[in-house]
Amino acid sequence: MGYQEYLVARELVSTFGQPILAYATLISAILLLLSLYYLVKREERLIEYSIKLLQVNTILIALGFMVLMWFHFKIYNTIEVIYPEYVTAYMYQTSGIQLTSSRFAIPLWIETEKLYFWALCLSLFAWQISRKYRDSAKGIIVSLNVILSLLVIITYLYSNPFNEPLPIVHSEITNWSQAIAAQNPQIVGQIAMQLFGRITYYYNTMYMWTHPPMLFIAYASLAVTFAACVFMLFKKDDVYDKIAYSHAKIGYLLLTVGMLIGYPWAVLAWDGDWWWDSKINGSIMMWVLYSAYLHTRIHLCKRSMWEVTAILGIVCFISLIFTYLLTYVVPGIHSMAQV
Amino acid sequence: MSSTNSRSKPDFNLNFNLKNYDYYLIIVTSIALMMIGLVCVFGVWYSYDLYSTNSNWQSTIQFPEYISMMNMYVYPFVLVLLLSLGLCIPKRIVPRAALIKATFVILLLTLVASVVGGMELGITFILLMSIAVQAVVLALTILKSGALTFEREGYLIQIGSSLLHLGTVLFIFDFVSMRDSVYHIPVFWVVTVLMGIGTLMSFYPSEISRLGRKIALR
Repeated sequence: MGYQEYLVARELVSTFGQPILAYATLISAILLLLSLYYLVKREERLIEYSIKLLQVNTILIALGFMVLMWFHFKIYNTIEVIYPEYVTAYMYQTSGIQLTSSRFAIPLWIETEKLYFWALCLSLFAWQISRKYRDSAKGIIVSLNVILSLLVIITYLYSNPFNEPLPIVHSEITNWSQAIAAQNPQIVGQIAMQLFGRITYYYNTMYMWTHPPMLFIAYASLAVTFAACVFMLFKKDDVYDKIAYSHAKIGYLLLTVGMLIGYPWAVLAWDGDWWWDSKINGSIMMWVLYSAYLHTRIHLCKRSMWEVTAILGIVCFISLIFTYLLTYVVPGIHSMAQV
Repeated sequence: MSSTNSRSKPDFNLNFNLKNYDYYLIIVTSIALMMIGLVCVFGVWYSYDLYSTNSNWQSTIQFPEYISMMNMYVYPFVLVLLLSLGLCIPKRIVPRAALIKATFVILLLTLVASVVGGMELGITFILLMSIAVQAVVLALTILKSGALTFEREGYLIQIGSSLLHLGTVLFIFDFVSMRDSVYHIPVFWVVTVLMGIGTLMSFYPSEISRLGRKIALR
């Protein structure tokens, strides 16, 4: 076990994962066209085809996710960072944590895997909606197919997790392996120090395993609320509100707990004033808007409140997309963007 | 104001009854929440603007100025939110007229505290008052007080709603007044538990009750 075995696993992930995502993207493109055609022409037989395509797509995405899981498991099994004694002693002195070695327990929602995980969650929600509301909410099923198709195509084009799997993790593992091979104690110590921080406070933290996935599942659930709210604008049908509200509940619960879990992590990781950072602003905005949506919904039967609630549900989702994009557009402590 | 609205809107009752009271409170709460959202959007735009002129702006005097400005803009809406929470949750225990009068007194005392000791003291005062009110409501709810009947019926919803509102107020208090305290993070975890359980109970009362019955049967 070691670096060579890791490299073979990484190669295999690309070999198996690339065609899976390519087929899922192709199906998504067909599903997108089919769904748009249905929204214009309303031909009933298209619904059956689109549900079947959605099911195939969900299976493919889930299969790809299993490949990623296997890869993460392989990383954990093959790579072990053994700290030099003085690094262990120094880290114990400064952080109180005594570790002689670490393994990479990489979460499945980092780097290029974020959008893929979001797409997986959304496809599962879309499948559930298509089973439960096949007869009563065809429009929402088709709209979710449109959103999912776009998400899969964007993932393939801009955030393909099989193209170059986990590039940052890969460079860290490669640096470590090269340092070990060169047998230069100074460089080994230097890289071990860096990896201690990355593994202990980032990859292997409870926060990293709970905060992002809760938010991505919430995003997927709230995409369903968005689709239902769009239909609420055109027709006063209780089923639309039922779908919107039931998914807003899941989304809001995960959003609230997920965001709260991120708070102590921020306090630990970002010393000083990080409040009112762009991403924090966006997250608060999203949360207060969803709180407003849930409040207005209580009086849905009052005059104009149906429309107000529907519009608010749509605005909420726009704020969600805005908040997600902030990471890449607006610089800040919780951001990857640069001006 | 309420009677004028009642006459101009046919689907409203002539009396300013409890449902209308709830309705207006929810409108006020929603507007306050949306305004906080708008302040956040302004913050994003403002910080982006500062970044584009100086990428190191957070190390300059502009950063504390920005933090103070954002606090100043958001405090009035947080104040409205806290007042509306104070008017909403205990409305079934205390007569509404007395509740409105008490809210005005609290608002007045908050304003006095803000003028005398600064905005932070004012907000700390109203937060402590809100925590006291929410805690009493929660205690009464748990004791199954006969005086309590919430907008949405169900014992679990009542407790959930009380926990959620207490958690929200406690979170703001923990953040505003306890940031430098050693209890900051422990209190924060209490908030997380309150809000998590509160949201679960408010959203899924029948499922929780079914689960409770199943466990009791075993």
